Amino acid sequence: MIFLKRTPLAWLNLIHDRWKFLTSLAGVGFAVLLMFLFTGFMNALYDSQLQLLERLNGDIIMVNRLKSNMFVPIAFARRRLDQVRAYAGVSDAYALYISEANWKNPITQRTRPVRVLAFNPADPVLPLPAVLQQRDRLQRLNTALIDTKARAELGPTTAGVITELAEREVRIVGTFTLGTDFASGNGNLIMSDQNFLRYFANRGPDEAQRSFATADVGLIKVAPGTAIEPLVAVLQQEIPNDVLILPRDGPDGFVQRERAYWEENTNIGFVFSLLTGMGFVVGIILVYQILYTDVADHWSEYATLKAMGYRNSFLFWVVIQEALILSTLGFIPGFLVGGLLYGVTGNITGLLFRMTLGRVVTLYVMTYIMCFISGAIAVRKVQAADPAEVFGL
Amino acid sequence: MSAATPTALAPAVAIRQLNYYFGRGDLRKQVLYDIDLHLPPGQIVIMTGPSGSGKTTLLTLIGALRSVQSGSLQVLGQEIAGLGKHKLVEVRRNIGFIFQAHNLFASLTACQNVEMAVELQGQFHSKRAQAVQMLEQVGLGDRVDYKPGSLSGGQKQRVAIARALVNSPRLILADEPTAALDKKSGRDVVTLMQHLVKEQDCTILMVTHDNRILDVADRIINLVDGSLESDENLETFVATHDPKALDRRMFIL
Repeated sequence: MIFLKRTPLAWLNLIHDRWKFLTSLAGVGFAVLLMFLFTGFMNALYDSQLQLLERLNGDIIMVNRLKSNMFVPIAFARRRLDQVRAYAGVSDAYALYISEANWKNPITQRTRPVRVLAFNPADPVLPLPAVLQQRDRLQRLNTALIDTKARAELGPTTAGVITELAEREVRIVGTFTLGTDFASGNGNLIMSDQNFLRYFANRGPDEAQRSFATADVGLIKVAPGTAIEPLVAVLQQEIPNDVLILPRDGPDGFVQRERAYWEENTNIGFVFSLLTGMGFVVGIILVYQILYTDVADHWSEYATLKAMGYRNSFLFWVVIQEALILSTLGFIPGFLVGGLLYGVTGNITGLLFRMTLGRVVTLYVMTYIMCFISGAIAVRKVQAADPAEVFGL
Repeated sequence: MSAATPTALAPAVAIRQLNYYFGRGDLRKQVLYDIDLHLPPGQIVIMTGPSGSGKTTLLTLIGALRSVQSGSLQVLGQEIAGLGKHKLVEVRRNIGFIFQAHNLFASLTACQNVEMAVELQGQFHSKRAQAVQMLEQVGLGDRVDYKPGSLSGGQKQRVAIARALVNSPRLILADEPTAALDKKSGRDVVTLMQHLVKEQDCTILMVTHDNRILDVADRIINLVDGSLESDENLETFVATHDPKALDRRMFIL
């Protein structure tokens, strides 16, 4: 390999001034960090909308046709679920009841809206380990589990808290971990369907009366070995169309529909893409400055190389190598600090910050393109270096 | 001698009726007029002349750093008038360049700077050995792994010379190689070049204003306003440029 035998000019030029090299890396790292933060917020806002849906234990989801997103509190007739049970391939169907209610912070006594998720504790509706372990406790009167990722406004999120929910006493008998989204208010509570009726069956003239006749989200389990798509098609055909039946996953699934709703109806994508783009441009300018300074400082040396018989393509390669080194080594601190800030921000907001491999790779590729563009601009200076001008300097 | 003779006997540089212009259109200005010059192998030729006389232009033309516009210019037996940029680069690989500034990479050691020249010949296996041997010849055997920052001005220029000579070029073009050096370093550098040139039997064309080093020249050519005014050997040059002689002529005028 000729590449390895050559004097590593790009690398040696970069590290010649250690402090300058470190500040250069810090600069690239900062641009990477900006991109990580902005894409992180964007993805967190989207991912958070889906974290409940992705954990629901159903292969097929049924909701009221008018429920265009989880924010809309419209229920459907629960007998539709019972109808579905009759079809071959359906192994079970569960109802999830959802309502918003006021929670009184036991410390400050201020009320805050929370979302209550209710289901029959005997059914594995939300099979989080903490929920499965504590479902016996839910059968007691006026009890609930609280999300440890609820926002701080709710007060302490621990078992033993006794406060008011929808103006009735509630006792927290355990915790689980889920996270907040746009529709969850300040946090999630889980209770049994029996307790749900106690709180929400008759809240007064201004509030909807809830009963087991309606459910908010229906979860349909498919028998092992059954293809989901054909079953969904059959159900869509034969169940009255006041309900919407979708597979949970997949490109046409319920989770994707929810994500598409938030993508199409909010400015999240635009705003954070714009900010990410700004980070990208800041990075290009920074790296360009670094590379341009290197080229300008070594102008007569590069021109001498050309006089000696090196071609433009060699000098181009040197500058591109420098860009590559900067993008790779600058990415690491940006990635590490970004990961740290994801954790901290996630804890404060309750949003879901996910650092997936795909996202890391995407950002690395963006960093590389960023440095490559800078290098391609800076390299024009080297290519314009006229070796004839080194004479007589 | 003609281009048909074998390369070994061919002149290192053969110039016939070379004209050169800067600029275009109305701004076109001729800087070299009908230059005829033959440099046989093994000579040290010093080119003098006032600034603006076209010395540097002539040097860069011979060094294949500019394209020849009219006339004939043969370097090491090869006609370079009409060659494309790509070919000119290949011609340059057979020429050693020494500049007024050393132009060494501060980030590379003396040895690595010299190795950059060896790599042009594709000799990656022996590059270190060749570079070290060359540095030893210029008296820097104990400074091989020093960076230019910790070398003196004379030592840096010697590294630059080692870089120019390591591929044993048959033509060396030097532009004021001693201008940035003190008297002793300048003398050392020139003696070294003289010594190495005799050893490798190559031709040196050197532009200089430094009167202290004229004595190494086999031949001195004087360029004034783009024309070759005189082309003489050292003794004649000294005689015609004798301060006393000059004084006498000025007195007559």
